[in-house]
Amino acid sequence: MTLLYPLGLLGLIGIPVLIIIYIIKNKYTEQVISSTYLWTLSERFLKRRNPINKIAGIISLILQILAVIFISFAIAHPVFILSNAANEYCFILDGSGSMNIAQNGKTRLEIGKERIASVIKDSANGSKFSLVFVGNTTDILYEAIENKDQAVSILNGVSSAYVDAGFTGALGVAQSYFQEKPSILTYLVTDKAYESSQNVEIINVSSHETNYGIAGVEYVVSGGKIVVSGKAMSYEGDATLNLSLRFDELSEVAATQELEVKKLEETDFSFEVDNRSFSSFKVTLENEDALSLDNECIVYSVEAENSYEVLIVSESPFFLEAVLSTVGNAQISVVSPEGYANVTGYDLYIFDSVNLTALPADGAVWIFNPQSSIPDAGFSVQDKLEFSESAVLSYTDEEKLSDSEAKLLKGLLKSDVAVSDYVQCGSGNFTVLMTHDGNPVLFTGLNAHGNREVVFAFDLHRSNFPAMLDFTTLSQNLLRYTFPNVIDKTSYYCGEKVQISVPAGCKSIKVDTPLGNVAYLDTNSAYSEYELTEVGNYRFTMTVGDTVRTPIRVYSSLPESERETSVTEVSFALEGEASNEKSDGKYDDMLYLFILLAVIVLADWGVYCYEQYQLR
Amino acid sequence: MKKFAINEEFLQQVELLQLMIKNNVSGMFGGNHKSKTFGSSCEFSDYRDYIAGDDTTKIDWNAYARFEKLYLKLYNDERQMHNKIYIDASRSMAYGKGKKDEQALKIAATLAYLSVGEMDKVSVYAVHGKETEAVVSGMLGKESYINNIGKLNEIEFDGDSFLSDALLPTNVGYGDGMSVIISDFLTDNNFETAIDHLASKKRDILCIQVLSKEELNPKVRGKMHFFDSEDTQKFYRKNINREIAKAYKQALDYATGRIRDYCAARGADYLLISAEENVTEVFFHKFVNAGVLK
Repeated sequence: MTLLYPLGLLGLIGIPVLIIIYIIKNKYTEQVISSTYLWTLSERFLKRRNPINKIAGIISLILQILAVIFISFAIAHPVFILSNAANEYCFILDGSGSMNIAQNGKTRLEIGKERIASVIKDSANGSKFSLVFVGNTTDILYEAIENKDQAVSILNGVSSAYVDAGFTGALGVAQSYFQEKPSILTYLVTDKAYESSQNVEIINVSSHETNYGIAGVEYVVSGGKIVVSGKAMSYEGDATLNLSLRFDELSEVAATQELEVKKLEETDFSFEVDNRSFSSFKVTLENEDALSLDNECIVYSVEAENSYEVLIVSESPFFLEAVLSTVGNAQISVVSPEGYANVTGYDLYIFDSVNLTALPADGAVWIFNPQSSIPDAGFSVQDKLEFSESAVLSYTDEEKLSDSEAKLLKGLLKSDVAVSDYVQCGSGNFTVLMTHDGNPVLFTGLNAHGNREVVFAFDLHRSNFPAMLDFTTLSQNLLRYTFPNVIDKTSYYCGEKVQISVPAGCKSIKVDTPLGNVAYLDTNSAYSEYELTEVGNYRFTMTVGDTVRTPIRVYSSLPESERETSVTEVSFALEGEASNEKSDGKYDDMLYLFILLAVIVLADWGVYCYEQYQLR
Repeated sequence: MKKFAINEEFLQQVELLQLMIKNNVSGMFGGNHKSKTFGSSCEFSDYRDYIAGDDTTKIDWNAYARFEKLYLKLYNDERQMHNKIYIDASRSMAYGKGKKDEQALKIAATLAYLSVGEMDKVSVYAVHGKETEAVVSGMLGKESYINNIGKLNEIEFDGDSFLSDALLPTNVGYGDGMSVIISDFLTDNNFETAIDHLASKKRDILCIQVLSKEELNPKVRGKMHFFDSEDTQKFYRKNINREIAKAYKQALDYATGRIRDYCAARGADYLLISAEENVTEVFFHKFVNAGVLK
């Protein structure tokens, strides 16, 4: 026996104190009576065989001493060692997406947790427990702890992930435990069957539940129709599946389909509906099954998620309106230079021959034919050069540009661009795309507000450029530069990463997950990534400047591999020779000690009442 | 000083009773008690044949005329008794809440009154240690009673008492009355020899054991250290519980039973009286029920 808190035995000092108090306090009442004859004579009639009579006077003291002893030991917390009674356990709990499959109201994960808790509770005191949870990542939740309640409590706190989790990491952890202690009992709690195992007890929580799923949903617009297609699967038997299509989160069903599927065979389906403007659609599998996570799929329109608003400040916006309408997904507003005054709220501002005194801070800027130097613009305006005959501009050699910069000139025919005049500018650190006699006439870069900026140092109306095919192509390239797609697609599987192109001036990107969690992405680099770990709708809300943009939505589906209800793996083996060596168990249950203490205290109270109130 | 409170009314009631003497007594003439022997009273008793030398004046000549034989006419003899009352005057009789001494004095005074009412002599003795002290000696007649009975109040209850050692050297008389011992008998000291001695002297014996309510039914419980009032070297120290209380009852029964049995074996009367009992009740019930009074 050992004591966790030996200092608790200091309480035994109370025993001599108790005895002293007893001696001091426990006085007999003295009384002179007429004769002690009868009292003395009564001794002859006492039952002398009852030994309790001998200690009757000190029963209370004995009980109090016992109470002090038990209290002291309770504080000291004795631990009894039971040799070779305890084991060490390692539990590997599968937390992959398929563990969300439910049977009789309980998910596979909950059943697995109950099985582990049962093993923990049935184990000898002093046993040690380690728990490796394989979810989004492989985590060691606890290692060699002895507290059963703590072990079960932490176990109950875990929830399954939605990803396709691999056991490689867990196997490594278990192998290291096994090498360190060959007698360790390793349990793998999973819904996968294993053809073979070594030094591991597999607890399979799968029971061949019914499950259907849909995946790979996408759409194309063709011939005035929207064609939505995908594939469906039945995992436990042939089935007739009912599918429905809804647009824009409406309850109204746009189309339905009945689909015959065979077990474990992917069956394609498609819906064809009239073309329409939409921001999203949802395909739903109406059949009930054990896993609802794979019964619907939402697809968001990439175009809708990447639209932008443009303000053109010009006396003659015809060319610009025409080209932007052709190549962009823009909502265009036009205002004359006189009417422009501190307008905000646009993604792109285009100033054509406008004498600006300040740049807008909340969007990208295109400047045509600048009239004077503009504070924070990043370039300076010098003289205006006029030519009696047109001057031909030359393109910058692409080899001198970086790959991203060279994309701006991608697809250009590079026909001669002739201008009758242009503004001589100092382009600073901007990327120059076109020049004349070494003077930059088309350059791009970031202004002092951190927004992307494109400068045409000539007047479109006094050049042949608007009439050239290159104008359209260059405008498209510059729009892509100005508004790179924030996301490339909106449908993902759990475990995949969403790549987000961080807009210029973006202050924050807030992520709202399907389960209500919130995260913020890094906005200091051009691209930010976020790993999807939940099934459902993610919302990415960007704050650019002072403007909170409309959230971008993506849908994360359960990985197809996690939808299968019966999976058989080859082997889960721990290399090495197991031993039967056990460690010492411990018994430190204080309950009985406290019960005994309570009995003693009650007995003492009873004796006190007996003596004090003569309950006889 | 103890007071006794026997009032006149009580004494008048008691006067109606007569002390009954069970045994034949031989005593002096003049008393109200009839003797089994024949004497000179006016009350006819029997005839017997004349023997030469008999008093010829007592020959019944009418009987001679009828039977032609001389018969002597016999008359009952009446004797005067001398009752002696011994009061245990040890400290145990006076200590504590009980009023054993007062009860003892009342009983003695009452018995003395009854005796003088029967024209008997009465003497009252206080037993101190190994000696008897005559408090009232040879009291005869109510006038003498009135004059002397107050002396009982002068008895000091103190020290120990040895009844046998005190009584044996004294003149207890012979066949001429009753000897009454009033005591709590809570002692190891020998009292049996005194009873035997009185019995051998043909005395009627009445032992009255007076115990207080505390002694008859003690309520005390818990840790007690008792000291004996007569000898502080004697003590009893115990945590008195139910077991001990039960044993005390058994001891009490044993002690009283022993005296009762001893008295019965010697033809003596025995009465156990509580110190808290009313004297009237004592005489009208206990004494009558025991056949001491009729």
